[in-house]
Amino acid sequence: MSSLVVLGTTEQGLMYAIMVLGVYLTFRILNYADLTVDGSFTLGAATAATLITSGYNPWLATGVAFILGSLAGCFTGILHTKFKITPLLSGILTMTALYSINLRVMGKANISLLRERTIFSDFESLPYMQEYGVLILALLAVIIIGFFVYLFLETEFGLALRATGDNELMIRSLGVNTDLMKITGLALSNGLVAFAGSFVAQNQLFADISMGIGMIIIGLASVIIGEVLVGTRTIARAVLAVLCGGVIYRGIIAIVLQLGLVATDLKLVTALIVILALITPQLRSKFSLPIKNV
Amino acid sequence: MLNVQNLVKIFNKGSVNEKTALDNVSFNLNKGEFVTIIGSNGAGKSSFLNAIAGNFPTDSGTVIISDKNVTNLPQYERAKYISRVYQDPMSGTAATMTIEENLVMALRRGEKRRLKLAIRNKDKDFFRQELRKLGLGLEERLTTKVSLLSGGQRQALTLLMATFKEPELLLLDEHTAALDPKTAEKVLQLTCDVTKESHLTTLMITHNLDQALNVGDRTIMMHEGRIILDIQGEQRKNATINDLLKMFENASGTHFHTDRVLFS
Ligand SMILES: Nc1ncnc2c1ncn2[C@@H]1O[C@H](COP(=O)(O)OP(=O)(O)OP(=O)(O)O)[C@@H](O)[C@H]1O
Ligand SMILES: [Mg+2]
Repeated sequence: MSSLVVLGTTEQGLMYAIMVLGVYLTFRILNYADLTVDGSFTLGAATAATLITSGYNPWLATGVAFILGSLAGCFTGILHTKFKITPLLSGILTMTALYSINLRVMGKANISLLRERTIFSDFESLPYMQEYGVLILALLAVIIIGFFVYLFLETEFGLALRATGDNELMIRSLGVNTDLMKITGLALSNGLVAFAGSFVAQNQLFADISMGIGMIIIGLASVIIGEVLVGTRTIARAVLAVLCGGVIYRGIIAIVLQLGLVATDLKLVTALIVILALITPQLRSKFSLPIKNV
Repeated sequence: MLNVQNLVKIFNKGSVNEKTALDNVSFNLNKGEFVTIIGSNGAGKSSFLNAIAGNFPTDSGTVIISDKNVTNLPQYERAKYISRVYQDPMSGTAATMTIEENLVMALRRGEKRRLKLAIRNKDKDFFRQELRKLGLGLEERLTTKVSLLSGGQRQALTLLMATFKEPELLLLDEHTAALDPKTAEKVLQLTCDVTKESHLTTLMITHNLDQALNVGDRTIMMHEGRIILDIQGEQRKNATINDLLKMFENASGTHFHTDRVLFS
């Protein structure tokens, strides 16, 4: 692989890692398989691209992407908690609705950001940033967001959120409104996903209506890869693990592509990774292999 | 302290599975009183505690705790007043979280959860001191995940979580039934110690008739969603298990029937 490919893969991996952190918050922390992600990733990209091409400040556009993603998460959460729709269906409903909304936001199926001002072009124009600006900005974002999510999960509120995913009955009897916890968790998760979507769009210089398809599976695969390779003994470790998982996943995909697989086969490869990860515990117990205590 | 009036709970109302779990129950509990509850399977004992704690809305009647009408408050808003320990040792703690994290969540029972680091050093000292009372060596394992503890250890931890921030009302639902006899004895002893020490107002469901008579200071019997017997003082002190079974048969017109009654 050329160093350019390695650099590009790492940059992308870091941006996707933010999305993976969002998926981790629902999938692991809340124990909630949230399919909203496919729609909110595109929503973030669409929002940022539309605002930027309309002349708005790209930093502002990125912030708005986060907020709109959070709103999408809230919507899923309200469907589930207030109207008792199953987690899976709540996510699918929001995702489906978002497809139309994203098209409305963009006005067409894709928007080019060529020669537009983006957060990356801004950053690259700083001194010493021409070459590695994208990498450094993405890395900064990952470190800052990862650190704050970790801190958040260690607060009183964060503990209540984790307990909601672990033992809802228990934490409710300790006085926590678990509906509110789920809505907040989904909002934060989808906010991060949309934020990542806006980064990816500004990096690849276009937004496309279908760029979020399969994002949830990519997120799950990355979470699982990270957990297996890095471990989850403490919350700090788990957060680090899923961030690494996001980058490593991109690395695996890049290698697979170099090996000659076409891009359209990637979703199959990703699905296989998730299937393998999900059935491994069952296979282990079937052949009575000890389960590693990570 | 606790005042329940004409409480009715009907499950699956209007369907073929309609079931009256609480049939016009009225009950008064004084501050500091420890009441044991017995009754056949399906008598409505758990439903009674669940209705008090607010697990589900009731069909009619009122629940008043410390002069506050809580009938329409959701479960999480009643947590200010109530602590619970369930039968299943798994249900009182969060398995993927550490001992100290579980403890600190219990310490904030009924309070607003803030965006503030949950565990401070002075909490840890307090936790160690409280855990030491259990005599299980858990004070050395604050950062161990609860999933690694045995059922008995988890239940003892749950009991501590339910009592170290004194609740106005402690609800125990067969909290020793799933434990081996030795551990059950130990957890019951802890229960007696802590309720006595802090004068906790307590409702305890049990299938052990001996326990029902010898623990606490008042015993009620439930049958088909009603309280059919309520004894205390001399009458209770002098009663034997056989007397208790007789009283039950006279009051209900049937035999006392449960899969778990222990006579020892
Ligand atoms: N969530 C529910 N939905 C429908 N029916 C219920 C529900 N909970 C309890 N019941 C029914 O209400 C009745 C009383 O149940 P409850 O659990 O209160 O009995 P119990 O006295 O605690 O019995 P046990 O000694 O077996 O624990 C039973 O007939 C039960 O089937
Ligand atoms: Mg019961």
